Amino acid sequence: MADIFDTTTKALGASLNYRLLRQNTTSANIANAETPGYKAKVVEFEDALARAVDLDGMNGLTTSSPDHFALGTAALGKERVTVENNPDADVNNDKNTVDMDKEIITMTENSIAYKAALSLINKKMAMLKYGISEGGR
Amino acid sequence: MDFLTGMRVSGSGMTAQRTRMNAISSNIANVNTTRTPEGGAYRKKEVVFGAMPEQRNFGEILAGKVDEDIDRVQVVDVRPDRKGPRLVYDPSHVDANEEGYVAYPDINVMQEMVDMLQASRSYEANVSAMNTMKNMALSAIEIGR
Repeated sequence: MADIFDTTTKALGASLNYRLLRQNTTSANIANAETPGYKAKVVEFEDALARAVDLDGMNGLTTSSPDHFALGTAALGKERVTVENNPDADVNNDKNTVDMDKEIITMTENSIAYKAALSLINKKMAMLKYGISEGGR
Repeated sequence: MDFLTGMRVSGSGMTAQRTRMNAISSNIANVNTTRTPEGGAYRKKEVVFGAMPEQRNFGEILAGKVDEDIDRVQVVDVRPDRKGPRLVYDPSHVDANEEGYVAYPDINVMQEMVDMLQASRSYEANVSAMNTMKNMALSAIEIGR
């Protein structure tokens, strides 16, 4: 079935979800910056997203069962992104690995990228609206 | 996973730092206190933080989103520190013992000031994380406008 949203829009949507997860993780790291023994958590999703957007041009395979591994664009938003413990060395004496500067930078960067994806989605929507309204004339 | 998760986590950080601030205020205020309801000199209060998995609502558990481990921070315990009192020779003091020593709390005001600064900065970091999250949520509402 044809879809009114193209791959780009879906990829942007998936990236918004991943960025939200990263933001939540960063918030948790900042909140636990002084918790003894807490290990900072990181979210890596860029590779998963690139795979899902099918940058290599190998067409996505569709799946008929939720147990199948989705490949290509069908995998958008379904790629499992794990929250991993930061391998960095302890920053404090209390076995805590949260680096506050790093977290603030991640947070700022993430927020900017989130807004960028949002404005791209809005442009897509504007184009779609334009197409809809011009078609009726 | 939604915006509220991150906001709740930042909120837990703010609560924890505020509790710590209250303990520090209490320590500074009681730097010369020699009498307490428990008897003896005041003892410095220490706040212990612990990371707890963020509670999820029923809907999220039902949707199978149990693998996202986001930890909030919680004040596990507020306990008196292990150090004993500081003995000062002052025979004229009402609470002096037979040898003339008064037991004062062993509180280093400089140390408390440093802790206070740290608590204040951590609180600000949580506020800024919360504001970033709020701005993201507000701009997400604008999709398609």
